Amino acid sequence: MKIISIRPFALLAACTLVCTAGFAAPALIGNKNVAAEKLDAATVKSIFLGKKVAWDGAGRITLAVLKGGPVAEEYFKSAVGMAASAFNNHWRRLAMTGGGTAPKSFEKEEDLRKFVAETPGAVGFVDRANADDSVAILTPAP
Amino acid sequence: MNTKSIILAGFALLLTGVSTPRALASVPVGDGRVQLGGFFSQGWLYGSDNNYPTADKGGTWDFREMAVNASTTVGSHLRIGGQVFAQRLGELGRDKVILDWAVADYNVSPVFGIRAGRVKYPKGLYGEALDLDIVRPFVFLPGSVYSPVMRDFSASFNGGMAYGSIDAGKGSFDYKVFGGRIPMSPDQGVAEFYNNAGFYTAPGATALSMDSVLGGQLTWNTPVSGLKLVYSFSQFTNLATDGPFVAYPAANLHSNIHHFTWNTISAEYSWGNWVFAGEWQRTDSGLRYSAPPVLATVDGPVGWDGWYLSAARRLNDKFEVGAYYGDLKNRFGSANGGSRNYQHDWALSLRFDYSEHVLFKIEGHYIDGTYQTFDTARIPNPGAGLRPHTSLIAVKTTFSF
Repeated sequence: MKIISIRPFALLAACTLVCTAGFAAPALIGNKNVAAEKLDAATVKSIFLGKKVAWDGAGRITLAVLKGGPVAEEYFKSAVGMAASAFNNHWRRLAMTGGGTAPKSFEKEEDLRKFVAETPGAVGFVDRANADDSVAILTPAP
Repeated sequence: MNTKSIILAGFALLLTGVSTPRALASVPVGDGRVQLGGFFSQGWLYGSDNNYPTADKGGTWDFREMAVNASTTVGSHLRIGGQVFAQRLGELGRDKVILDWAVADYNVSPVFGIRAGRVKYPKGLYGEALDLDIVRPFVFLPGSVYSPVMRDFSASFNGGMAYGSIDAGKGSFDYKVFGGRIPMSPDQGVAEFYNNAGFYTAPGATALSMDSVLGGQLTWNTPVSGLKLVYSFSQFTNLATDGPFVAYPAANLHSNIHHFTWNTISAEYSWGNWVFAGEWQRTDSGLRYSAPPVLATVDGPVGWDGWYLSAARRLNDKFEVGAYYGDLKNRFGSANGGSRNYQHDWALSLRFDYSEHVLFKIEGHYIDGTYQTFDTARIPNPGAGLRPHTSLIAVKTTFSF
């Protein structure tokens, strides 16, 4: 009886996860020359906040971001702990006060992916479904 | 370039932004390694009873700011860039172009970097971003901590800074340690603090200088998502002025503050579409002045306490509202100073983002008390006409790229 009573909730939870994942499942991508870099969650956050500006062995980091949308909202929230508007304000502030070089921003995921593929040291994010073998899909350690 | 030309040029820029709402947010040049940015804002101020923060009683269009910056990277760790800035706040600034920041920045690692040149002055949450309209709903930052007449003085310094970020479990600590000096002149708004004291014949002090500024800032990005706590300390050494003594203009009155210290404690909490902030600041110094042979050396303490609480909420893509209460108190005011010893400021703001590049703001203030409401040649508030409270309306539009 207990198992039967839990099952509908488990199904609902599974459905929620699948639906959410289908809505926005961002993947961290990089130029293939950064594929060997060691990454963990703290390092990724450091990169996106402009604190880490160079790879250990792949030169200058060039950051590429989406201007907005559910993929950007989800990625900034999970990887940086910020809403997209807060992330944009963070970078506007750095760029306008001499504290950093603003990320390249893109309206379309295809343009971002192409930029990352063609730019050594570039890193960004797109929906997992839009990541192809022109870029390295990076999986940070927890 | 006269005032009318500047306003017309600014509105032309604004119209460009209005007509291209989805243009790119930044302007990469050449191969994209050079970034250009900037802003132009034009506003209107109306003071009901007193001229605060500048000569705005009855309304003035002399309220604008503009800046252009460029930066690029060299190799993996070096970045260079600079920004020129001009402002007009009543008779302050007068659209004179100044170097706002110009830095060479070498980031060794996330833990340590150095920045040298003309560097933004870190003080409190927003000291390095005094004129960035695009990151807040307010026209004026709370004057109890960020005096608007000191923008041209307290925005940056010439010198160097070490900075970095250290992981601390789920949080982190960001640090900045800096030293240098701030070039000073009687044109700057900071001169009004001296001119208001009545030491000098009009228009006021003829020379201002300082030996050095030293300081640091520690930010704790706490494990609580969106919450950060900041402590800022800085100290000026030998802050000096000269000018003709008001009681005997043939004599030079020299004043000196051996150490002027700023202590600021700040907290900011971003929660969903809300941003809450609070800051407390204490200034402390001792002023020594003399005008030989007619005035012997006089010593006296100078300082104030200021704090504020603010809340801002993003309503949707287009609108944001904000409000704050600020409190400023003269720590060493005379016993019978009354409303001249304090300033209580209630402010309510509305921001409308027309596009990524163009925004409009309107803000109302009710200000009780007249502390740091100056009576000088540039900001006249003759004693007989000074009211214990005043209202201020500020309207501003900003184009940024």
